[in-house]
Amino acid sequence: MSAITRRHFLTTTTGAGLAGVLATGIPPARGQQREISYLCWNNFAPLMDKKLAEIGQRFTKDTGIKLKIDHIAAAQQAAKYASEVQSQAGHDLVEMRMHFPWLYEGQLIDLGDVVADLEKKYGKVLSSAAETARVHGTWRAVPQYHAMFVATYREDLFKKAGLKIPDTWEDLYTVGKELKKMGNPVGIPISQNYDSISTAGPVLWSFGGMEIDKDGKTVRINTPQTALMIEWYKKMFRDCMEPEVLSWDDASNNQAIQQGKAGWIHNPVSAYIVAKQMKLPTADTINHHRTPGGPAGRHETDVPRHIAIWKFSKNAEPAKEFIRYLLGKREVYDEYIMSADAFNLPVYEKLQDHPVLKTDPKYAGLKAEGVQYHCYGWPAPPSDKVQLITNSFIMPNMIAKAVTGTPTKDAIVWAENEMKKIVAG
Amino acid sequence: MAIGRVGVAAVPARVSLRARVGNLLDREEWLGPVFVSPALFLLLLLVAYPFCMALYFSVSNAFIGRPSHFIGIRNFVNLWGSDAFRQTFQNAFVFTGAAVGFKLVLGLSLAMILNQPLWFKRLIRGAVLLPWVIPTALSTLGWWWMFNSLYSVVNWTGLALGLMDPPGPNWLGQRYYAMTAVVVVNIWRGLPFFVITILAGLVSIPRELYEAAEADGAGPIARFWHVTLPLLKPVLGIVVLFSTIFTFSDFNIVYVLTHGGPINSTHLFATLARQVGLETGRIGEGAAISLYLFPVLMIVVWAQLRFVRKQAY
Repeated sequence: MSAITRRHFLTTTTGAGLAGVLATGIPPARGQQREISYLCWNNFAPLMDKKLAEIGQRFTKDTGIKLKIDHIAAAQQAAKYASEVQSQAGHDLVEMRMHFPWLYEGQLIDLGDVVADLEKKYGKVLSSAAETARVHGTWRAVPQYHAMFVATYREDLFKKAGLKIPDTWEDLYTVGKELKKMGNPVGIPISQNYDSISTAGPVLWSFGGMEIDKDGKTVRINTPQTALMIEWYKKMFRDCMEPEVLSWDDASNNQAIQQGKAGWIHNPVSAYIVAKQMKLPTADTINHHRTPGGPAGRHETDVPRHIAIWKFSKNAEPAKEFIRYLLGKREVYDEYIMSADAFNLPVYEKLQDHPVLKTDPKYAGLKAEGVQYHCYGWPAPPSDKVQLITNSFIMPNMIAKAVTGTPTKDAIVWAENEMKKIVAG
Repeated sequence: MAIGRVGVAAVPARVSLRARVGNLLDREEWLGPVFVSPALFLLLLLVAYPFCMALYFSVSNAFIGRPSHFIGIRNFVNLWGSDAFRQTFQNAFVFTGAAVGFKLVLGLSLAMILNQPLWFKRLIRGAVLLPWVIPTALSTLGWWWMFNSLYSVVNWTGLALGLMDPPGPNWLGQRYYAMTAVVVVNIWRGLPFFVITILAGLVSIPRELYEAAEADGAGPIARFWHVTLPLLKPVLGIVVLFSTIFTFSDFNIVYVLTHGGPINSTHLFATLARQVGLETGRIGEGAAISLYLFPVLMIVVWAQLRFVRKQAY
């Protein structure tokens, strides 16, 4: 028998090992370090992203599971998720805004066990978050926090001109005329972005209007209430705002008040938080008040944000472990929420009086008594159709058409036709 | 003289693999395909496969992550019912026509200037290329700041010079201004391609032709019409062909500057296809939008290549 040479031994063992790995599809023990990836949005409160990275490092240290966090601009999320689903490859965990779990229902794993544990600890999930994360009775995502739209105004200008805090949208028109005369117009975007929808919705609801009925099928945009809302927008655009709002993106209204131009905007508290962090001169002059109401009550948009796990992920269990680590440990969850400086608030009932609201007297407006919070498309139940109507920017385009010369009736009929096409499709 | 036969001993030839491969590669019918195959493979992988997928999506009701069914040309027909699509169709022709027209005139003028003896000629020629070299998304972000309603340096300058009334044009918020803005940025970005290519054409025109024309009494305009332009026609044809294709299918500039707004007035096929196909999930409809471009571009390519061939022969 010939002696085994070193070369022969190495060739045989390497070949056999490789064949074993390829046949079983399981890497050797040394290569089995668990690793997960999380695609998260670029938080409008940037310190929360920093905190997330810090918590992620601790998670890796405590569990041995390596975590890679990537960030993406909110406007890019839909397209990025679509490409991940289409290619069935990408991140394990994804941050999902509003109705996204409905849009990707068939692509997300059931996270009911994680939500059940969180509800035991923190109380029920708030309605708007539950409606968007629980799809046809199954929790397709875990609610983590929500941002709410409030009225953000220049307190110094109001005091200087002796203006009253607006209680209704009509009051805002009265105040807005004065603000524009002072060179500090109202800043409500009317363009293809999400902030435009976040204001148009509450105004429409406050006038008693809606896009889709409760059945989720009947388009109800063509009503006298919508006409009232559009007429309000027309006079606001003419007398209280500058045409620049037609070109704004989601950050423009924030910048307008931070740079000292706008006197009143409708936005989450991020405008104030960033001004404070950047030590802008306007930080001391900005304050918040409860969102205005109308004949049909006081309504507001909130933006619940969830974490979900793709079905194609091969690391569902470690991914769940991360969600439990981030949201299930009270001290970690508190630390995470506190880092956003009240921009993102907990979505669980027992955590509503969160300590973060006591960190600054200017957060008093966030308590917003008497305000009803809804997601886009209310009162229609969340669905992929509602998400499609939102992502097609039909509402802002309807308003933009009307304020730039299209007759109100024609603008509404245009929106009705576009919505009907989506609902029928 | 008789020539004796030379006997060759039949030696069993053991040709090595390397030699056999070498022999094969010495034959043109083998070497050609070997050289072409990597490019062909890449074309199949990166062009043919996505194109076939897009064709399939466009005739299906494909929605992100859901099973799809064949629906024939329904997507193409339904698109005409969409206000946004009809607007986009019009935008694409206005945008391409205006941008390519200006790039041609300005490119030709600039190339002729750069063909003259100038100080720092090399430096200037290099600088002209800059807009072409900088990543489009990055340079367009710069333009976005310049047109931004809050920080517009364009308006600031215009107001400071007394050329505009306050607050100045709302560049990205009003439909005609927004279209002007995206066309201007496209011209800025695409001009170097015209300049450098036309300049190469100008340099290759023999000086003797100009000297002969001059001797016959031709002035600068006559020399341009009767010498420069006829000899440049093939180059211009190719440049316009490429630019038309690039401009029709532009995405970055519109996406960064206006997102297709206001009220869809600057959407091009690529940006609308993205919004419909990726942001709202209707990938079938999105593919149909992007493929509307295909027959148009085919006609453009056919017409221009015909023109170029006529000029060449």
